[in-house]
Amino acid sequence: MYKALRNPYTYLAFIVPTLALYCLFFIYPVVVSFIYGFYQWDGISEKLFIGIDNFKRLAHDEVFLKSLGNNFYFMAFSLIVNIPLVFLIAIMVSKARRMRGFYKSAVFVPVVISTATVAILFGVLYNYESGMINQVLRAIGGESWAKEWLSDPHLAMLSILIANAWQNIGFFIVLCLAAILNIPKEIGEAAKIDGVNAWSETWRITLPLVRPVLFVMLLLTVSGTLKVLDIVQIMTNGGPFQSTEVMSTYALKVGFRSLELGYGSAIGVAMFILILIMTGILQRVSKSEEVQY
Amino acid sequence: MERILTSGKIAPSTLQRSSFLRNSQLPLHLSLWVYVIIVLFPLLWLLLSSFKTNREITVNTWALPTTFNFDNYKAAWESAHIGQYAFNSLIVTMAACFLTIVLSAATAFALSRMKYKALSKKVYGFILLGLLVPPGALFIPLYRLVTDLHLYDTHQALILVYCTYALPITIFILHAFMQSVPSELEEAGIMDGLSAAGLFARVIVPVSMPALVTVFILAFIGNWNEYILSQLLVTTESLRTLPTGMATFNDGYRTNFASLSAAVIISIIPVLLVYMFLQRQIIDGMTAGSVKG
Repeated sequence: MYKALRNPYTYLAFIVPTLALYCLFFIYPVVVSFIYGFYQWDGISEKLFIGIDNFKRLAHDEVFLKSLGNNFYFMAFSLIVNIPLVFLIAIMVSKARRMRGFYKSAVFVPVVISTATVAILFGVLYNYESGMINQVLRAIGGESWAKEWLSDPHLAMLSILIANAWQNIGFFIVLCLAAILNIPKEIGEAAKIDGVNAWSETWRITLPLVRPVLFVMLLLTVSGTLKVLDIVQIMTNGGPFQSTEVMSTYALKVGFRSLELGYGSAIGVAMFILILIMTGILQRVSKSEEVQY
Repeated sequence: MERILTSGKIAPSTLQRSSFLRNSQLPLHLSLWVYVIIVLFPLLWLLLSSFKTNREITVNTWALPTTFNFDNYKAAWESAHIGQYAFNSLIVTMAACFLTIVLSAATAFALSRMKYKALSKKVYGFILLGLLVPPGALFIPLYRLVTDLHLYDTHQALILVYCTYALPITIFILHAFMQSVPSELEEAGIMDGLSAAGLFARVIVPVSMPALVTVFILAFIGNWNEYILSQLLVTTESLRTLPTGMATFNDGYRTNFASLSAAVIISIIPVLLVYMFLQRQIIDGMTAGSVKG
């Protein structure tokens, strides 16, 4: 009966082109990255094998440690500020009995705009003289409230985080909203009959039931903030004084500007391993927490 | 619910409270509107700025433009080559999406429906590994690989790399969808004497249309907005894609906000139009798979 589905030539014809591309542009670069990490190399002269020296150097490289710290600042901000905000807004939209579709579409608009454009848009908004943010602050608090958002080392990272939140949380809101609306209606109704108020319904019923999606958001936030690159590169390119440097911008600088291909690859490998460890831990933690309706 | 309400089994106080909550949705809508305004206002402000002169932007940011002149748009379109960049983006994006869909549909079909279970399982796992790798860790070897293949500074390089990077998630979604296709459909096709390739083209592809459209939209938005790779792999000005072109424009025109605003608006319009027409599909597509687990 199923002989038609057992033709080895068709099978290979259907998977080999994909595998060829995948191995060439994906697996090969991963393997090569790991190999380069053990060499000292400027891309032109002979490669010099130096074992794990590149990785030892990472542990003492102040700029790398600073960029690692910035990645974690990025992660902490996204976890502590963005995720609760996402959950709050998703709950609110799910409670609205009218215009739910409008709210859902409106909050999603920034998600489809390119990061390059978002970076430029916020560059304009943050401008000291004519930017909207300072204009608002001057209007409500006077000249001293206006700030050099992107060129003050103490504010630059925060300014990027706000732009990033503006762009990304719409996606998470819609994700979370889909999960909330997925909860069987009977559960909410049963709770109301039992006299549960809105506050404890949210805390004790909705939150536990959407835990799988909160976990997806956690996973995406952790891996996303560890590999963040384009918004930082366009808004500040790591400056001022490396106050916004992150691992990827630093790896690119080391690899392409200073032509230290081995060391740049080692930074890439470190990122890769860090993401693998963090997501591995998260996955293990979540494994025991399957939800039943 | 209705039945319970009418049968009068609920304490009157509970009933009163819940109907009070239901009728006073005003605060909820007000707060949601505040959020929607925060999200959309920057775009509106930019739209207004794009019709002003630079002097108007600095002197009275909040006023409506005195005249709606399109000079900024003309300048952005002509001297900043936004039109050229958009055309390049369109070519690269469409070609990469097309290639991704063809390859991943064929692979997902072979892996999910053809009778080589053990091998398919291994191949599928191997491809899913791609979801864990941060692209940022691969730039150095990828750059050298593209150069060695004599693809540096061509659209082909971008097409092949975008296609490859989209494969793991696309195959993941299509594989899940195709697995759920009932085997009766297949059996009917086999009765009619179709080969595996015939089954794929005449049965599986038509029934998988919703999933194919979803992955197409996902790939389209991702490729249209991609910035770092296009900046890394293409240097010739006239070959640049929109996000890279925008970022270059940003560096050159940091003080010319009027033109910059117009350029940003031009770059947002196509993707906003696509979004408005395909809202439901985009939102559902982006959230598919992550909600149920």
